Amino acid sequence: MIEDYLVLSVILFCIGILGVISRRNVFTVLMSIELMLNAANLAFVAFARLNETMDGQILAMMVIAVAAAEAALGLAVIILLHRQKGRLDSNVFSLLKG
Amino acid sequence: MFESALTVMIFLPIVAGALILLCPAKGAARIIGFFVSLIVLMIGVQLFIDFDGQAGMQFVYSTPWISSLGISFGLGVDGISLLVLLTSAVLFPLVFCVLKEQSRNFYANLLLCQGAMIGAICATDLVVFYIFWELMLVPIFFTIGLYGGPGRLPATLKITIYTIAGSLLMLVGIIYVASCYHQQFGVWTFNMARLSALSLSGGFAGWAFLMFMIAFAIKIPIFPFHTWLPDAYTEAPPATSFVLSAIMAKIGVYGMIRFVLPFFAPEFISWATFFLFLGIIGMIYCGIAAIGQKDIKRMLAFSSASHMGVIAIGVCAMNVQSLTGSLFQIAAHATSTGVLFLFVGLMEERLKTRNIDALGGLAYRAPIFATFFAVAMLASVGLPGTSGFIGEFLIILGTVKYSMFLGLLTGFTLIVGVCYMLWMFQRVFYEKESETTTRFTDLTAGEAFSFLPVMILIFVMGIFPQLFISKIEPAVQQQIAQLYAPAQQQVVTNEISVTDK
Amino acid sequence: MEHTVNYLVCIPLLPLAGAFVLGMMHMFTCKNPLPEKLYSFLAMLGPLGSLIFTLIVFATLREMPAESRYLTQDLFTWFSVGDLHVDMGFFADPLSTLFLLFVTFIGSLIHIYSIGYMAGEENFGKYFAYFNLFLGSMLILVLGNGPVVMFIGWEAVGLCSYLLISFYTKERDNVLAGNKAFIVNRVGDLGFVLGVAVLFWGLHSALGGAGFDYLNIKASASSLTGGAGLAVCLLLFLGATGKSAQIPLYVWLPDAMAGPTPVSALIHAATMVTAGVYMVARFSFLYASFPLAGDVVAWVGILTALLAAIIGCFQRDIKKILAYSTVSQLGYMFAGVGVAAYSAGIFHVFTHSFFKALLFLGAGSVIYGLHHEQDIWKMGGLKKKMPLTWIVMVIGALALAGFPPFAGFFSKDEILFMALAKGHWMIWLIGVGVAGLTAFYSFRLIFLVFHGEPRDQKSYEKAHEPPPVMTIPLIILAVGATFAGFFNLPSFFAGDSMVSTWLAPSLLEHHSEASRVTEGVAMVLSIAVVLLGIFYAWKTFAFKPQDKPLTGFAKWAEDKFYVDEFYNAFIVQPWIAFGRTISNFIEPNIVDFPIKGTAWLYGVLGMLFKVFQAGYVRVYAIYMVIGLSLMSIFLSQSL
Repeated sequence: MIEDYLVLSVILFCIGILGVISRRNVFTVLMSIELMLNAANLAFVAFARLNETMDGQILAMMVIAVAAAEAALGLAVIILLHRQKGRLDSNVFSLLKG
Repeated sequence: MFESALTVMIFLPIVAGALILLCPAKGAARIIGFFVSLIVLMIGVQLFIDFDGQAGMQFVYSTPWISSLGISFGLGVDGISLLVLLTSAVLFPLVFCVLKEQSRNFYANLLLCQGAMIGAICATDLVVFYIFWELMLVPIFFTIGLYGGPGRLPATLKITIYTIAGSLLMLVGIIYVASCYHQQFGVWTFNMARLSALSLSGGFAGWAFLMFMIAFAIKIPIFPFHTWLPDAYTEAPPATSFVLSAIMAKIGVYGMIRFVLPFFAPEFISWATFFLFLGIIGMIYCGIAAIGQKDIKRMLAFSSASHMGVIAIGVCAMNVQSLTGSLFQIAAHATSTGVLFLFVGLMEERLKTRNIDALGGLAYRAPIFATFFAVAMLASVGLPGTSGFIGEFLIILGTVKYSMFLGLLTGFTLIVGVCYMLWMFQRVFYEKESETTTRFTDLTAGEAFSFLPVMILIFVMGIFPQLFISKIEPAVQQQIAQLYAPAQQQVVTNEISVTDK
Repeated sequence: MEHTVNYLVCIPLLPLAGAFVLGMMHMFTCKNPLPEKLYSFLAMLGPLGSLIFTLIVFATLREMPAESRYLTQDLFTWFSVGDLHVDMGFFADPLSTLFLLFVTFIGSLIHIYSIGYMAGEENFGKYFAYFNLFLGSMLILVLGNGPVVMFIGWEAVGLCSYLLISFYTKERDNVLAGNKAFIVNRVGDLGFVLGVAVLFWGLHSALGGAGFDYLNIKASASSLTGGAGLAVCLLLFLGATGKSAQIPLYVWLPDAMAGPTPVSALIHAATMVTAGVYMVARFSFLYASFPLAGDVVAWVGILTALLAAIIGCFQRDIKKILAYSTVSQLGYMFAGVGVAAYSAGIFHVFTHSFFKALLFLGAGSVIYGLHHEQDIWKMGGLKKKMPLTWIVMVIGALALAGFPPFAGFFSKDEILFMALAKGHWMIWLIGVGVAGLTAFYSFRLIFLVFHGEPRDQKSYEKAHEPPPVMTIPLIILAVGATFAGFFNLPSFFAGDSMVSTWLAPSLLEHHSEASRVTEGVAMVLSIAVVLLGIFYAWKTFAFKPQDKPLTGFAKWAEDKFYVDEFYNAFIVQPWIAFGRTISNFIEPNIVDFPIKGTAWLYGVLGMLFKVFQAGYVRVYAIYMVIGLSLMSIFLSQSL
């Protein structure tokens, strides 16, 4: 029973990772990160149900709050990035190149 | 002499250097620097006068520092360090009077350099020595890197990384020596006199010996560790070249005599011929290289390396005459080649060039300058009656005792020196006046009076060397006796002296 | 007998003080020089003062019994390290006093002559400063109480020689000649220093910390072992070949003629170049106990004499001829001291200093009169214009050729005879041959310069006799060159060998006796050879000499057998080329290789790792994922 939830969570997480790695649009990357967070939420909730405690539920609420904050900050950063280069292609931002 | 004289000599310049940075007026920095170095000079001279040749370590000051490891802030002067100390105290004011460098920062660095060098010379504790040894490099790094010639950046990096690599090796050696002492006697100490009880050889001691030797060989520098030298000396501002060649290089020699000889006596004896040979190769190699140079300063850099080779030979020949000669030559070389760097600096300030080919006929335009330059040059080639002769003569004499053949090779220093010096003197001071030299003006009265004491010193050291030798010779005798004494005996005497205290 | 006196130091100190004062005066006023009279007056004080003190020393020594005839003065401990103890002190014995006498006397004369010769020169003051410095140094050399103090003078005269050779510094060739002299002398000094070092280590147990001076060395010399003793003698002799211009280091002396002529007369003929002979004589107790070293000295000397005489026969420059003649005569002196005829060698130094100084000063007058013309093929017929110079030059040439009763005859003949008496008949034979050559080239010079028709009418017209300040020293020297020989009249002429007797306490000499008949025959033979040489010169050059280009052997000799070219090609040029190679190739590419290699290694590693720093956020995310995955796998394994 629990395995099904976890498999779904892993699938969601992998989709998120794939999105972060393969998509070049910064927006999509941000959305993929949200997806990964939600995968984690799913796992939390599933384990909370299994262990019959409220910790997982609370953590999930925490994550949702943090995700909201992150989204707000992330969008602000994206807007700044767009202002700087006029594009949202993540390959344009390669200041760390050695 | 008051008890904390050495402490004052070390920290007065360092503190004054820090204060100079706060000083608003630019011109004042130089004057403050000059007076501070003058005070150090007076203390140094007074120390020299009060120094008693027979009395071993003197003006001792010691206070516990990190007692759990037996590290104490210990200072003292004996016959081995006396002349090095005197050189660094006496010649420093010159740097402040003759060159027209502008910035406060520069003078602050110079003062820091003087403090650190005196610290390294006086330290009787290995950790204190190491700290000052590394501290010396900081001002050198900044003065070359900020005020040097066009190629200053690579030169700075080269000297810094090269010497740091050497000193890190030495750090390993220092820790090894202390831990050996700990194993043998059960206490931690970094005190030099107590560590001298060790006479390490075999096994890792061989490596530790080489670590020490390489550190000092880089600083001196001995062939083939000299490649940082031509770049650094050439690119450095004249004051720094002077400090490097006149004092810093000597601390390498001093370190060799002070640390390697007592700690690793058997190893040193078995390696002496090898290092002596390196010294000879360096002396001849750099002497020949000097003749291929177009830049006077680069030529002097090679000349300096050549002379340092001779000094190293004197140490490696391991007898009273040669070692005394080396110690004497340390001071003598500073008065000759060191001062030549300052002369070239003056020349560059006036003519904006150091290219030998562009010069000529300076002697007609500037007889006083030419005379002073000639005196320093003749001292540098070791003319009897000047400071350069005594040291060279004693080194050759001592080396002949060590080995007739090596003595013969050492004697070539008499020849290689004159070849490039006379060649340079001819091109720069004689022949037809070149267009560049018409801009040259002779020394001003102030400059002449600044250099006059050194000129007098050159002759005093050549004619009355016994003033200096009598103070250092007993210490050298003792050092040599200790070197050849069987290790056991040393341990016993050392422990007795430790318990006495 | 009290041997310690307090006035010896004045002898070298007076000229040195003069040099200092003159040098300072010149240095500060060289833009608008002080009057020459002032310089001349000050310059004369030092030499004359030394001369007076020398006479006092001489008089004092004469009062003493012959076997302990010496004076010393110790000033202070120069340096004392371990058992090496060197006192700064002076030592006058008959040998050094003889040197003192002629050095101060001839030095003073040449000072006077220089006042005339250098009149109107740009650096009048500098010249006399150097000249005084030289005299002081030479006196230290002679008076030093041991080899190390002697070395001060030894090097300082080399320095003065350098300064005076390159006196006309604006010409590159002059400075090069000065450099050459200094550097070649330094090669010799290497031998000297090593010789002193070996001597010290050979004796140090016998010396036992006592002062390293002649008296102690002589007293403990017997403890020197064979090998060390031989090494000392040969190394010291290497020093002598440098200073006294012998094979293989003679090459600097002919070039040294670039200096003003009085310099050549004083330094490069009469005094400095004889320092080597003085040194060998000083160590006669060593050379006498190592006959092999003595043989080397004698052979090097006589071969140098031959070589230089041959070259001298074909030179065109009046000063070069005299220079080679000096080298040749120095060879005679070394042959003399080499065969252990020390007093004969020293006596030749004494007479030579008169007649060679005379010849040089005479040549100086000719050059002065002809306004710096030195080529003898452009002279001729000057007898009429310069009769006085002609007379003194002829006297000098006769003395040089060794024609009785002029000075050179007695001294040279003494050397040759001693060589024969001690069984070195080959040396004697070569010596006699050289005597013929000497006579030939000296009269070639006389005939070409003073006789025949003037070959260069223009300079002949202007020729004139020099002023009295120059001619008076010439006359005095001419008198010396004529009569100096009589100071050591051998018993063959019913003389009492005054100089030899005077020198005897200083020198370790074994007189060999040979029959009077041999002596007489040898003498007649050498006079005959000299006459032959003069006759041949007269025949060839007295009437309508032909200045045709030389060929074959003569060409070789004129070009000095290409020894300079040989040294240049095999020592100097490789040295310079090696220097260039080091700084252009070896230093940056080989010695610095490990350092540059390390730097390069770091660069390469950086290049490698740089690839991973793509700079794209995605790529870093991949690394994170890979890392996290690896961590997970690792954790799951360990659980």
